Amino acid sequence: MKSWHRYTITLVGGLTVGLGAAWAITGGGLSGGAIVNGPWTTSLGFGTKATDPVTRAAVARAGLLALPAKETVYWSSKTDGAGALLDGNCRYSLSGTPLDARWWSVTIYDTKGYLVAGPANIWSVNGANVALDGKGQWRVTIAPTKPANGAWLPGTKGQPFHLTLRMYNPGKAFRADPEKAALPKIAKEGC
Amino acid sequence: MRNWLGPLAFGLIVAVATAWAAIWAIPYGLMNVAIERLGQGGINTMSYGNLATPERQPVVRPSPDLAYSSCPYDLSKGPVAINVVPTPGRYSSLSIFDAATDVIFVRNDVEAGGKPFRIIVARAGQSVPKRAEVVRTNHDHGIALIRLLLKEPAEIGGLDAIRRQSSCGTVTKLK
Repeated sequence: MKSWHRYTITLVGGLTVGLGAAWAITGGGLSGGAIVNGPWTTSLGFGTKATDPVTRAAVARAGLLALPAKETVYWSSKTDGAGALLDGNCRYSLSGTPLDARWWSVTIYDTKGYLVAGPANIWSVNGANVALDGKGQWRVTIAPTKPANGAWLPGTKGQPFHLTLRMYNPGKAFRADPEKAALPKIAKEGC
Repeated sequence: MRNWLGPLAFGLIVAVATAWAAIWAIPYGLMNVAIERLGQGGINTMSYGNLATPERQPVVRPSPDLAYSSCPYDLSKGPVAINVVPTPGRYSSLSIFDAATDVIFVRNDVEAGGKPFRIIVARAGQSVPKRAEVVRTNHDHGIALIRLLLKEPAEIGGLDAIRRQSSCGTVTKLK
């Protein structure tokens, strides 16, 4: 084998490895952030000029046109409270108290971050359309079939899913200590 | 095997350089795609998008609670003016992103005092109208995005007329 053959092989190999590495490094998505609170993860560096090139590329891939944390905090969850991957075949209870923000919503996506077609045309719940019980708590059922009563966020049978919690204009107390903030609980009830 | 030491070192350098270049280029590439998808109503024109559904998802993780209005801009022929009319009692915000996907400006309805406002986006050195509020950028291209939060998707019918009062366009008068 001639010398230039070897260089050509490693050139092609280097290009391939480089592109693959770039894709893998930036594929952490919104859950590649540094702040963890139960099953939820975020980074307060989204949407600012201060983010490093890797975070910027990861955010561009997972949440293009995301707002900075003062405006909106985006929490992402791939698992329930026990750490098991969210499964469209199962029934979950999503519950909590009103969040420390001007507005909040929880949206269900497929694992690539897109809305999934379904008969109900419901993909999110928000602070304005969930009812509070006597203890000041709200509760939503995530399941492939509609529950007998209460709010419903439809899962899709046979498909894992991700949740995104958006908090618009989060309060100062929240921003001071987001790891300790009270976020919605995700509990599996059955499959 | 010794014959491979040079080529392998070369391949390693190529891999690192390629990874670095690709990581740097990914935001620009994705922004170009977003400009293309959101700019179907035209560049330097405000498009009042329909609510996100499984059939209409121009960007990843679209919020089904938001009515997005977008103005993909091109400053190569001059600054662009963005006029925003907030909807009373509703969260809305203008955010401006440059070609690298960085946020270069954000203002919500509360910060605006619930009143209409006008922002000029311009490159360094471009002449702008006197007393205008100006955001300078190092890139020609980007997107200005107005988000309007809805309690229910059906609300868009009643709020559409107000959101269509927001607009964008090339600055033609400097006075």
